[in-house]
Amino acid sequence: MTISPVLIIILAALVGAALSSWVFQRHNGNMLFGMGVGALGGTIGSLIFMIPLNFCTFEVERTTADHVFGTFLIVSGMLIVLSPVNWIFSRRLSGQNLIASQGSQGTFKGFATPVILLTPTIGILLVFLYYPSLETLRLSTLLARLGARREVFVCVDNFTRLVDDQAYFDIVIRTLWISAAIVIIGLVLSLLIATMAYLPIKGASIYRTLLIWPYAISPAVAGIIFLLMFNPTGGIINHLTRQITGTALGWTNDPNVAPWTVIIASVWKSMGYNILFYIAGLQNVPKDLLEAAAIDGANVFQRFYNIVIPQLAPITFFLIVTNSTYAFFETYATIDYLTPGGGPLQSTTTMMYNVVQLGVGNNDLGKAAARSIILFLMVIGFTIVQFRSGGQRSSTAT
Amino acid sequence: MKQRNRLILVVAAMLLALSTVIPALAQDDAVEIPVWIAFSDYRLDWTVELAAEFNEMFPQYNVNIVGGYSYETVFAETQLAAEQGELPAVVQFFEAGTQDARDSGLFKSIASALAGREDVEGFPVALDDFIGPVAAYYTLDGEFTSMPWNTSSAIWFNNMSILNEAGIDTAPATWDEVAAACEAIMAMDGAPEYCFTFPNHGWFFEQWLAQQDALFANNGNGREERATEVVFNSEAGVAVLEWLDEMAAAGYLYYSGAQGGDSWATVDQAFQTQQVAMAAYSSSDTTFYTNMGVDNGFEVTASFLPYNDDTGWTGNLIGGATMWLTDGLAEDVETGALAFLLFLTDTANAASWHQVTGYMPIRTSAVDLLASEGWFETNPNQTVAADQLAQSTVTPATSGAIIGAFPSIRNVVTAAIDRVLLTDEDAQSILDAAAAEANIILEEYNLLNVE
Repeated sequence: MTISPVLIIILAALVGAALSSWVFQRHNGNMLFGMGVGALGGTIGSLIFMIPLNFCTFEVERTTADHVFGTFLIVSGMLIVLSPVNWIFSRRLSGQNLIASQGSQGTFKGFATPVILLTPTIGILLVFLYYPSLETLRLSTLLARLGARREVFVCVDNFTRLVDDQAYFDIVIRTLWISAAIVIIGLVLSLLIATMAYLPIKGASIYRTLLIWPYAISPAVAGIIFLLMFNPTGGIINHLTRQITGTALGWTNDPNVAPWTVIIASVWKSMGYNILFYIAGLQNVPKDLLEAAAIDGANVFQRFYNIVIPQLAPITFFLIVTNSTYAFFETYATIDYLTPGGGPLQSTTTMMYNVVQLGVGNNDLGKAAARSIILFLMVIGFTIVQFRSGGQRSSTAT
Repeated sequence: MKQRNRLILVVAAMLLALSTVIPALAQDDAVEIPVWIAFSDYRLDWTVELAAEFNEMFPQYNVNIVGGYSYETVFAETQLAAEQGELPAVVQFFEAGTQDARDSGLFKSIASALAGREDVEGFPVALDDFIGPVAAYYTLDGEFTSMPWNTSSAIWFNNMSILNEAGIDTAPATWDEVAAACEAIMAMDGAPEYCFTFPNHGWFFEQWLAQQDALFANNGNGREERATEVVFNSEAGVAVLEWLDEMAAAGYLYYSGAQGGDSWATVDQAFQTQQVAMAAYSSSDTTFYTNMGVDNGFEVTASFLPYNDDTGWTGNLIGGATMWLTDGLAEDVETGALAFLLFLTDTANAASWHQVTGYMPIRTSAVDLLASEGWFETNPNQTVAADQLAQSTVTPATSGAIIGAFPSIRNVVTAAIDRVLLTDEDAQSILDAAAAEANIILEEYNLLNVE
């Protein structure tokens, strides 16, 4: 069915008006003015994505998935416009300043100075971040290849075709569990090693420095080292396991084992960094607290579980964020060297690897762009959730 | 005082650095001819040395060879460079890039660049000197399109020391013979870990398909008219997958899990360490493989790529790459580039290139030169690929497919082989799914590129 664009805009304006007038009413503002602002915001918001797409998601020949996706785009566009607008007005109406001022120190009087100071940063952001992001959005609606004669507009096919794409669903699930394994195993092991490295023993500083070395090695080099070690036919690991247990694993060519090889290599690679932070964190755990607990009869494990771990919560939270980003984005080289091509049965193909494979290897720019946007949104969503939950826990812990 | 000394030292160092840069800037009036090739090993060194020789002969030119990681990456980099208008004068493309290179409109055919000249800068053109299969593959729409350089075929390498130990004295010629040889090899004491391996590269699937005279794509493998559909999910295609699957299930075939351009090195490693007794490989590395045996104390022979007993042997196709000349170059750059290409493939260099690598001697005169030196008698492995091609019947199947987005389609094929080897799914349905996926890629490619 076709839904007329005019109808969509009117509906968006109505929803926006209702929303804003409700916000205005709650803060005792002028409801009529609120309705006007909301209607305008809703209209603009609904058009943010729909004008570039030319309302293509609501054309006759489109599927239900396209309609749903189009509605989702309209709602997101409206949220992008309306939420800051409503927030600003609610602050204004309740008499608060827009920027939470930290006293009188360090605020610019004029407009020119801050703008001049910000120009280089904004310039760099525009050229290297915002422009490529917009270009990615544009590409994601196209069928495009480098060096091709033309580009073809395919509406949101690059997104909606993924709905019933089992292979892509598998990749998403695989990315999630591989990332979770890298983060969890990495942090647990790092904490254990950091605790041991923190023990007052002779030459501890040299020992600690050596522990941090893996971090200084580039992912590609780490990949090659692990490839040599884990090579199924000539590698030292299988040589050893064959001598000790008589069996050998297909570290890089068995689809059930290959992801674990990638996880081991990635964990090893990020461990130095985690240990560094955990050692710093351990140094900040108050000694008197531990002594008091010891006097009260708490054993080593109780002290570790009830005092050290909560004290380290802010650092753990920080490391979860950085390690997740690492697991999502920076394992490409490790995967590519260990299991070039994304592993047997694609068992080590993560979302990031898939994007590069499609975009660079297969020269399929449109699909790669769409998938990179999905990956980007997932990481953003993930980080927001973490900040929400982790932020609270760390504030109660300190 | 200490600081002043340091300052003097820094200034002196900077002056020294400048003094090396300035003369280089001053005398640099030679015409720059950037050439991109897809090699990063001894083959790059050989080419760089040759370019240096050329630059010495012709000080007015400066041929600058840039090496790349693999055909696939150089192909991708070239497309990026084209977008930015930074194309080099000459690019090496593999056979699978042929259709994409033609469609891109970025290149000029060698024939039209030569414009009937008999020689360039003293190098004779002599296009009719190129051997038959090579000239045939790269003559498109009746025109000599790109300059052949490295041409190979898929052949079979045997670790004769192991084969002899198992009581086999001739290399297996067919799939059944491979299975029989494997049975004997794996049954003996101190057997290698696996019997044989192959690079999971789309090219080998294409070879086994061509042997059975089966097409890869419609419209005569894309040679009569533009290919619009792949047809590799035929009986012949299924036979290839089923044979590989059987060999893997029997524990004969070692599959490293690596696909495409990354699979070569895994085969090198398995063969060199004698974890396998036989390997399918490109004749491009005949010298390397023969020396592997010499260096590690085993005997290596090369033989024709084994074929399907049920369908017989029609022939094999060529592989390798050619040099493409960029369109719209300045006249002196184009002349210099042509001169370098003719120098690169002249009789003496074509012969030397063959000896160093194992790629075919692409000129008849080079074959004659090598024969007169007695090269083939002392190096029997080196004639295998040429013989295999010479005995091939030329059909659309054995000429090889010309098809758009071939590199992506190859990825689909290798993924299908991966599936067959690692799952219990049936070969026909895997290949059907692969063909469907390849057809979408091809359809999209044609949608974007057909005039």
